[in-house]
Amino acid sequence: MLHVRGLTVAFGGQPVLEAIDFDVGTGEFTSLIGPSGSGKTSILRAVSALLRPQSGTVALDVPLNDVGFLFQDDALLPWRTVRQNITLGLRIRGFAPKAAVEKAEHWLSLLGLEGFGDRYPRQLSGGQRKRVAMAQVLVLEPRLLLMDEPFASLDAIVRMRITEELLSWVEREHMTVLLVTHDLEEAISASDVIYVLSQGPQATIRARHQIGIARPRRVLETRRDPLFAPLMQLLWEELSE
Amino acid sequence: MKTLPHHRLSRRLLALFVLLTLWESMSRFGWLDPFYLPAASAVANVLIELVASGQLWPHLQATFVAAFGGLVAGLVLGIGLGFAAALSPLLADLLEPIMVLLNAIPRVILAPLFVIWLGIDLASKMALALILVAVLMFFAVYNGIKEVDQRLVERIQTLGGGRRFLIREVYVPSVTAWVMGNFKVAVGFAFTGAVVGEFVASSRGLGYLLQFAQSTYNAALTIALIVVTMTFVLLLFALSERLERRLLRWR
Repeated sequence: MLHVRGLTVAFGGQPVLEAIDFDVGTGEFTSLIGPSGSGKTSILRAVSALLRPQSGTVALDVPLNDVGFLFQDDALLPWRTVRQNITLGLRIRGFAPKAAVEKAEHWLSLLGLEGFGDRYPRQLSGGQRKRVAMAQVLVLEPRLLLMDEPFASLDAIVRMRITEELLSWVEREHMTVLLVTHDLEEAISASDVIYVLSQGPQATIRARHQIGIARPRRVLETRRDPLFAPLMQLLWEELSE
Repeated sequence: MKTLPHHRLSRRLLALFVLLTLWESMSRFGWLDPFYLPAASAVANVLIELVASGQLWPHLQATFVAAFGGLVAGLVLGIGLGFAAALSPLLADLLEPIMVLLNAIPRVILAPLFVIWLGIDLASKMALALILVAVLMFFAVYNGIKEVDQRLVERIQTLGGGRRFLIREVYVPSVTAWVMGNFKVAVGFAFTGAVVGEFVASSRGLGYLLQFAQSTYNAALTIALIVVTMTFVLLLFALSERLERRLLRWR
């Protein structure tokens, strides 16, 4: 699905990332973990063409329009209602208003936000805004979903619930995902493959791990899997070196 | 205007009443020289006379038309140029120095020039109101666009939206917020422009009446006209606040 080769990203002459190579297979859930400042976000920005790399290539098997990006913050358009925010991408793709609204309603009920369509983002809680941001991206049925620590700002309970919902949806739809996070438990619970980045500047990929925990998974149960604790230990050591 | 709780509204009315009573009684006791400050009742009589005789309306109309015309034209020009400058670096380089200069000077000093160019009729007043409003709005829009939330811009881009959607979904709404934030000031500016323009040279309007009152040392008429102007502008402020609440209801 995604093939990154020799990706180097620099800000003001100082390389943040150097010669990054990794692949995301179709249908795989891949995570990039690394310390803060290792340029994880820059990788996603380069993949989605928001950032021009110094050198290297990003090859996608699908058009850029099939790539969804769920950001760390939930900056929805404050002057648009929840419904208008969700239909935004559909309208950009030229959907008829009626069809777009129908899809939006479907997602609202899927995410437990029935009746919130006419609200403005200001009137929602953090968790609700995050769900709307998810709907805004998922309603477009992306073939590759990029996520940049999407749930970092949520409290633990809401976070667990939303991760669970997303995970079951990704598994059902066999969606390809590239997640950037510094939460090791989240990465292990969700991923098929984990890449570990070294400390920046000039961060690079230092390890690749295949996560063999059986699917379908439930976040809490994965933590009791015999594979979980050793992996946690290994990743922790790699990151703290 | 925000609706005040009843007790606060009555306190404010009470303050106004006390002030008027004080003013009136001081005049009655002969402590105020009516040449400088006529009694409140005398001002009220002039006011009633102005309204009842129908004398006021053509002047009020003239000022309103000049201010409103200048406001609308100034909004269109200022917003248009602000947008254009924000989207085109070339235009920004051409316009910014002129606008900075116009912003730095008290723009009412242009009034005599507009009279020479456009005559003493409506056009010169409208032009003064226009220039006052346009410069204000140019900066509101120009700076507003430069400070647009980049996260929202990236959101539109990653959802596949181009320039058209960026303008419609991000730039126009965020500029609307900036414009509405400055709207009341613009209404005030438009009136300043119209009245000052009339003050300089005209045959009609509140500014003309004021000029007349001043040249005949008619303090009662002067104060009455100030009251008329204040009332009218406050009324327009109330209307613009309703507009603001409607356009910015997402806040």
